[in-house]
Amino acid sequence: MKKIININVNGDNHEVAVRPGTTLLDLLRDELNLTGTKKGCELGDCGACTVILDGKAVNSCLVLALDADGKKVKTIEGLAGSKHLHPVQQAFVEKGAIQCGYCTPGMIMRVVSILDENPDPTKEEIKKALSGNLCRCTGYTKIIEAVEAAKAYINGMEQPEIEYQPQKSALDLSVVGKRLPKIDAPDKATGKALFTDDLAFPKMLYGKLLLSPLPHALIKSINTKRALALPGVKAIMTGDDVPDIKWGTSPPRYDENVLAKNKVRYVGDVVAAVAAVDEETCYKALQLIEVEYEELPAVFDPMEAMKEAAPRLFDDKYENNINTHIDHHFGDIDLGFAEADHIREERFVGNRTYQNPMEPHCSIAEWDNHGRVTLHTSTQVVHYVHHQLSRILNLPLGNIRVIMTYCGGGFGAKAATTTIEVMSCFLAKETGCPVKMRFNREEMYLFGRGRHKQYIDLKIGVKNDGTITAVKHKAILEGGAYSSFGIVSAYYAGSMLTTLYKFANYKYDGYRINTNLPPCGAFRGHGCPHPRFAFESLLSMIADDIGMDPIDIRLKNAMEPEYRTCNDLDIHSCEFTACLEDVKKKSHWDSKRGNLPKGRGIGIGCGGFVSGAGYPIYRSQFPHSNAIIKILEDGSKAMLYIGDADIGQGSDTVLAMAACEAMGITMDRISVVSADSDLTPIGFGAYSSRVTLMGGNACKMAGEEIKKQLLQAASEILNVDANILEAKDNKIYVKDKPEISIPWEDAGFAYFSNNGPLVGKGHYSPPKGLGGKYKGAAVGTSPAYSFSATVCEVEVDMETGKVKVLNFWDAHDCGTAINPMSAEGQAEGAVVMGMSEVLFENEVFDKNGKMLNADLHNYLIATSADMPEISSTLVDSYEPAGPFGAKEIGEGATLPILGALANAIANAIGVRIFELPITPEKVLKAIAEANKVNSDS
Amino acid sequence: MYVSDFTYLRPKNLEEALDLLQNKDDAVALAGGTDLLVELKTGVRLCSHLVSLADVEEFKFIKEDEKSIQIGAGITHSQIMQSSLVKEHIPALALAASKIGSHQVRNNGTLGGNICSAAACCDSAPVLISLNAQIEILDATNKKIIPLEDLFQGNKINTLKKGQLVSKVIIPKTGKGTGVHYEKFGLREAMAVSVVSVSVMLKIKNESIENASVVIGAVAPTPKVSVAAVGILIGTPTHLLVEKSDPILRVSEAAVGDSIPIDDIRGGAQYRRDVLFSLTQRCILKALESAQKNV
Ligand SMILES: Cc1cc2nc3c(=O)[nH]c(=O)nc-3n(C[C@H](O)[C@H](O)[C@H](O)COP(=O)(O)OP(=O)(O)OC[C@H]3O[C@@H](n4cnc5c(N)ncnc54)[C@H](O)[C@@H]3O)c2cc1C
Ligand code: FES
Ligand code: FES
Repeated sequence: MKKIININVNGDNHEVAVRPGTTLLDLLRDELNLTGTKKGCELGDCGACTVILDGKAVNSCLVLALDADGKKVKTIEGLAGSKHLHPVQQAFVEKGAIQCGYCTPGMIMRVVSILDENPDPTKEEIKKALSGNLCRCTGYTKIIEAVEAAKAYINGMEQPEIEYQPQKSALDLSVVGKRLPKIDAPDKATGKALFTDDLAFPKMLYGKLLLSPLPHALIKSINTKRALALPGVKAIMTGDDVPDIKWGTSPPRYDENVLAKNKVRYVGDVVAAVAAVDEETCYKALQLIEVEYEELPAVFDPMEAMKEAAPRLFDDKYENNINTHIDHHFGDIDLGFAEADHIREERFVGNRTYQNPMEPHCSIAEWDNHGRVTLHTSTQVVHYVHHQLSRILNLPLGNIRVIMTYCGGGFGAKAATTTIEVMSCFLAKETGCPVKMRFNREEMYLFGRGRHKQYIDLKIGVKNDGTITAVKHKAILEGGAYSSFGIVSAYYAGSMLTTLYKFANYKYDGYRINTNLPPCGAFRGHGCPHPRFAFESLLSMIADDIGMDPIDIRLKNAMEPEYRTCNDLDIHSCEFTACLEDVKKKSHWDSKRGNLPKGRGIGIGCGGFVSGAGYPIYRSQFPHSNAIIKILEDGSKAMLYIGDADIGQGSDTVLAMAACEAMGITMDRISVVSADSDLTPIGFGAYSSRVTLMGGNACKMAGEEIKKQLLQAASEILNVDANILEAKDNKIYVKDKPEISIPWEDAGFAYFSNNGPLVGKGHYSPPKGLGGKYKGAAVGTSPAYSFSATVCEVEVDMETGKVKVLNFWDAHDCGTAINPMSAEGQAEGAVVMGMSEVLFENEVFDKNGKMLNADLHNYLIATSADMPEISSTLVDSYEPAGPFGAKEIGEGATLPILGALANAIANAIGVRIFELPITPEKVLKAIAEANKVNSDS
Repeated sequence: MYVSDFTYLRPKNLEEALDLLQNKDDAVALAGGTDLLVELKTGVRLCSHLVSLADVEEFKFIKEDEKSIQIGAGITHSQIMQSSLVKEHIPALALAASKIGSHQVRNNGTLGGNICSAAACCDSAPVLISLNAQIEILDATNKKIIPLEDLFQGNKINTLKKGQLVSKVIIPKTGKGTGVHYEKFGLREAMAVSVVSVSVMLKIKNESIENASVVIGAVAPTPKVSVAAVGILIGTPTHLLVEKSDPILRVSEAAVGDSIPIDDIRGGAQYRRDVLFSLTQRCILKALESAQKNV
């Protein structure tokens, strides 16, 4: 029964009727429509829901609304005045502390309370005080900087200037290469930015999925009668009610059903879907659905799964549960190993990790009366969702509109279509009402698509001088129940090992195995981080074996520009050596190496990635990125329409910067509309670190087309030849006589008046025919490759095994950084995420395949208190294929972290740990075993 | 996620609260909610009546008398950290409180809720037990005082009966020469549940240990006094208590001997023993240091 409460929110008194179970968070969001306060975990673990209750910061998800009766609440909406941002908000915007922005409102409220309690906290105090607010994007670095800046604002102190040496390739540019705040940052800082779950439509229903409690079973019957009879339930759908069509991510491996048909393959597989007036009713209805299962034997270990007698997940395919097998051989490894003076082979094991974007997935579908469906969704890939819905709903693309709202991070978790995107459409059709579906944190883990756990046997041969002569690599990827991206992951695991070091002989054997666990997919660095961890570890071990400095062995083999790898990948720009030299110098490698006390260690690791995949996920001839720029009739604003998705990485800003540079206008003259299939031309979305290069090229091209037309218009006004004109900084002027000029907008106005709309179009397709001719040659191709190196220093508690990461010194060749502040943010975020994966993260299952840590309480990710000092450099580099010389940094920056940290730990404790995560328990065990060996010998 | 149906009751004072808890079926007290709401949302617990202690002002005090510090069950961990009485007399409790969850959790989570949840890994109990703290238990008709230790029955099981509330924790004041320290080991720097914890109380007289307590946490179903460790400590000359000295190692071994850890997602039993061994040594030295300062 509802009770009336009185609550004062941001100074306004509200009298509201609430149910006993309603939390303060739900009251704010659902009843008072104050959606700035976010919902990340619902269990007190993430801090996204932080508000100030009677002067104290609390997690509003753990406060009953009824308990807040008579109290005062301050939320993010109450912080800014009508004209000015609060100093903390201002600092977050300026310092680049906001990426996806989902953690931001809670984080800002917490910072406000920190500074209220202590106006002058030290950096260490800030790190500790913020540790209840998780951020998956920023690596906390810029957040801490923002707190320090806010402190200075509030106390009226001087702001320390940021020292930044611009890259050479950006020196002559006006917009590109500048450290600019993201255009969406103010909206994200004030809680104004709407994420999918912040939207509500009239008559909107909620939907929920019934998940399998068993790891492997036949469905004998489903009885929905009792559930349907529950008041408030509007529809229930099972496998019989949805089309019999297989879907998934890569076309050769479409193997998922919309809802289970006869069989479930893991704890979390989708059995049925319910729509009801609210989520609570959905949950109650789910409990009333009676499913009769016949349990089948299940298999969770990939080695077991490959055995002859193992239970099969699919009767009609994937013999021995081998979902994908790859057998690549380039050069001749027998010859290569024969040439080697030293050969070493080791087994490395990765961990099953989950992206954990702070925003849970959410989708809302609504049909109009003309047979069109509109889906608002939190996705990285509007186009692939569009394409997949068109297949499943059997509708032309034109009858489906997919709109990406603000997206609270993805990292691969939202890089393909989800069940709720599909089922919200079906339920909305069935009920005739808009239907919202969202995952809670547990459901996110169960939907899965995180990192494959890889078992890697790696063998490297080198000459005495360190030259690599051959590499043999066998990887077994534990893939979970369905394919998802897995086939691509398995190819990437092999193909990307060749881009950092030059070697001619390489063999890769890859197996992706199905098990009765949540499906694995693409997680930042897609398939590559574990093999890279193995490679970087083994290379450092080999360097030790042959008495060579680990950085020297890397320099010896380092990739160089304009090189074709043994597996036919074309490297163009490459400043890998500069990265290595930079980190060597700034970490004081030479003086530290070998001279640190026991328990302290230093290690090097390197990485690199594609700047966008050379080929799309399904075969199509569409350009990969497309842009339209439309100039307003008075020339005052450029509207950029771009299909690619800003999931927090900052692509709206970066793409706008590329467009502005090309047009000759400043950033205040542009507005961006992105990722809406009705409004924006197709873009493949945010995956494979593709947007800066591909989207950037499309925007640059569109901008150039605008400029060309404008210069023509200006030439008529100025009565000079168009080709002696230039556009820059909102002016059009004669190149040699800049004093002869007209304002940019005047030319725009004139153009429109004489010719009608001023529009520029741009598109980008990777060069045709990238890569070799062998099977799988497409995976790993890209117009450009990034490179990076990082040195890590750690301190290990030799008695408990706990690792404290002190420093990361990293350097990146990302070409020209279009927005260096965003590029650094990507690097810092990658450092902390990579570190978190190495030290903490692992999905754990019981013997029945039920995940034991599907939350943020037991699946730990790094907090601000765990954060090391990070010093990132963007080296001088120019990539001819990229816009203004740019290439990627988002995914590549993760790759060096794993190996560097593992190497630093090995250096600190004197033994190597081959299996991730490197927990204190493993460290202590390794130390004990090493001591035992030492004392035995 | 949602909280299943229940009736919400908000008594205006202690008397009403006790009455409701006694007379309503399946009634559960709600303090800060940081444990209870998690349990209700994840469905591991159901209740039909929730009795909010929000207005029970009688539980919200920290005071002292000649012999003890008394902390009301409704005091939050943040209030403990800020209390000048606590900082002066039981700094180790302020330290333990600072290691609980996050700032937000500490702002709502209460001392009463922490001990009544009776988790093996609970962070406030070890220090309190090492100080021989007692609790006052009330119901509609009775009042009794028992050692805090006796509240714990098993992991997440307390010994309270229907209708009972813990009203306060009574911590005896320690004399000169006493030092207490708390060590917590979690898997990350903050917001981590204890994998192992230890609280050590030492009282020095005439350069030797006159009285001691060693309480180990997260290594048994309940926080536990290591009787064996205490036995070795008492009578030991303080100059022998130095890093890796024989008595320190023996005390730590004894603490390990008294532990009955389990394997779980946070660590194996053997690992817990290993960490307990190291943590106990550190904790003794720190406790000794503060005892020596407290002359
Ligand atoms: C993210 C997170 C992190 C956490 N980290 C830690 C940690 O590091 N260390 C730690 O020890 N705990 C931790 N906790 C657990 C929790 O915050 C604490 O145990 C807290 O002190 C509980 O107090 P509360 O007031 O919120 O209790 P509630 O949730 O309100 O109540 C807990 C239980 O105690 C009962 N109860 C409450 N008060 C009384 C009373 N006066 N008499 C009788 N019964 C009572 C309730 O009925 C309920 O069963 C964490 C919790 C969360 C959500
Ligand atoms: S949503 Fe409240 S702490 Fe995560
Ligand atoms: S910006 Fe913090 S979670 Fe994305």
